[in-house]
Amino acid sequence: MDVFSQLVHGFEVALTPLNLGLALAGAFLGTLIGALPGIGPVNGVAILIPIAYALKLPPESALILLAGVYYGAEYGGRISSILLNVPGDAGAVITTLDGYPMAQKGKAGEALALSALASFIGGTLAVIGLTLFAPLLAEWAIRFGPAEYFALMVFAFTTLSSLAGRNPAKALASSVFGLMLATVGLDPGSGVPRFTFGQLKLYDGVDFLIVAIGLFAISEVLVLMEKSHLGEATRMRVETTLVSLKTFLASLGSILRGSVIGFFIGVLPGAGASIASAVAYTTEKRLVDREGSFGQGDPRGVAAPEAANNAAAGGAMVPMLTLGVPGSGTTAVLLGALMMFNVTPGPLIFQERPEVVWGLIASMYIGNLMLLVLNLPLVGIFARILTIPRWFLIPAIAGLSFVGVYAVNNSAFDLLFMTGIGVWGYLMRKFGFPLAPMILGLVLGRLMEVNLRRALAISGGDWGILFSSPIAQVLWVLALVSLLFPWLVGRFAKPR
Amino acid sequence: MKPDRYLGLFLLLLAAGYGLGALGFEAEYLADPLGPRAFPLLLAGALGVIGLWLMLFPGADPAPRFPAWRPQVLAVGSFVVYAYALVPLGFILATTLEVGLLARLLGAGWGRGFFSGFAFAALLYLIFVFGLGIPLPLGRWWPG
Repeated sequence: MDVFSQLVHGFEVALTPLNLGLALAGAFLGTLIGALPGIGPVNGVAILIPIAYALKLPPESALILLAGVYYGAEYGGRISSILLNVPGDAGAVITTLDGYPMAQKGKAGEALALSALASFIGGTLAVIGLTLFAPLLAEWAIRFGPAEYFALMVFAFTTLSSLAGRNPAKALASSVFGLMLATVGLDPGSGVPRFTFGQLKLYDGVDFLIVAIGLFAISEVLVLMEKSHLGEATRMRVETTLVSLKTFLASLGSILRGSVIGFFIGVLPGAGASIASAVAYTTEKRLVDREGSFGQGDPRGVAAPEAANNAAAGGAMVPMLTLGVPGSGTTAVLLGALMMFNVTPGPLIFQERPEVVWGLIASMYIGNLMLLVLNLPLVGIFARILTIPRWFLIPAIAGLSFVGVYAVNNSAFDLLFMTGIGVWGYLMRKFGFPLAPMILGLVLGRLMEVNLRRALAISGGDWGILFSSPIAQVLWVLALVSLLFPWLVGRFAKPR
Repeated sequence: MKPDRYLGLFLLLLAAGYGLGALGFEAEYLADPLGPRAFPLLLAGALGVIGLWLMLFPGADPAPRFPAWRPQVLAVGSFVVYAYALVPLGFILATTLEVGLLARLLGAGWGRGFFSGFAFAALLYLIFVFGLGIPLPLGRWWPG
């Protein structure tokens, strides 16, 4: 079947009133979550999973909502970058460089309008890329056996680790924490209880959702509690949100280049929106900044990173859906959510659950359009929300985490477990361990072990099978290169 | 001594404890050549190597500073109390107290904190119980 007719089926799914409503809700909540400094897309998606679960939504609807929050957050992050010089999330850090200077010159409305358009173009181009590339990649990956899968997962961990933190050793340790946590419970192969400490509750393994909320939201609350002295945000007036055609056309090249860069960086495991926007910005600075106006409020310096971070969010969906191997913290959380709904992403998903994949892809076209509408005329509302005081916002994040975790199993024990994981996550942050690899490890742990054991069962215990096929060999080499990458960069970048 | 060396030692101990635990897994029959032990042992080995690496080649990360530890300790303590108090006190009262306390730790006045805590808790209760149909504990302290 060709892509086009599949996409039409996807639109039939996405255009039902429920799914349209959920796409709109996801877009709205995503913008809100992105705009508020302190809650990024990971926290937002994690906190919303229990609600989607409790509503007994079908998997495609839940995914439409949660993915909407994810890419919507990339739209929202720019608002506080431009108005307050405080990035709303990690992908919007670069947007402060030229966005805030533009606002200081009284061009806040123009910066917001241009970045909304850039986000829309980047997001939409990425969905087109997803539509074209995902089925091809899935078709190719269908030939993967357990050995190739095992190597692919090792590759995902090594790239994420070499890019996620300052110290790759700590990032790898973080991955191993997640993998270790995933071994808790009954062994899938033999039924032996492992690391359950006699607790019947742990026989099914640790609840992914509790770990995700504890690790990201609760630890974030604890980090935010440190700065209790910060005052309240000042309100910045946004008069009009219009951008002249001339400015838009002058930035169009930057937007298109940023989108392409963002998409491909998003597809790579480990490199997400923050790296994409940084690469897009430096590229534009080298390419078009002849007057040295970047950093002083150049519209192109706002447009390129915003196009890139939205495109990266779309690109990151490609490996998550087609290989079942996410490349970032947020897509790992999305994958965990899908598994809660008994959907296992991977190459077979395009044949087995086309309504889930194509419904999601179609909804992303619609969602981007909704986000453009939400972010152009209604940006004033989101700007006003930025004035929510911290003393209310932070306790509210904690309260939402509690109610979400409690609602899943009606268990107070889960709240204690979440608190414990939250303290662990807080300490990890303080000691320089990135969190995303741990959640990736937890989500992939079972799969990784099952594939390893399947491979060794095929070979009758010969470890050589892991390196026997050309695809596996390429993946192992790539894994090794990505591990050495930071060291090589450090080696060759220093003498300058 | 660099803090990373202590972290490396911690990882090494964690790997040893986890690996010792994994050695105890005994399957009655083996469905596959690896059995329940191999993968955990592999992880223990990996973590052990990372721990050794950090001890031998520590990074430049400085020791973390905990500028204000009191609000965080109080917050974590309140989370634990909340977990135990949620069912007996009921969602609305427990959440009002929790949000009020956190708001106070963040510099808001008691009055403002408890008032907004109550509004937030009542709103969430309405959304979850009546909007989403998810039951939340009402509390055991009501008469009758």
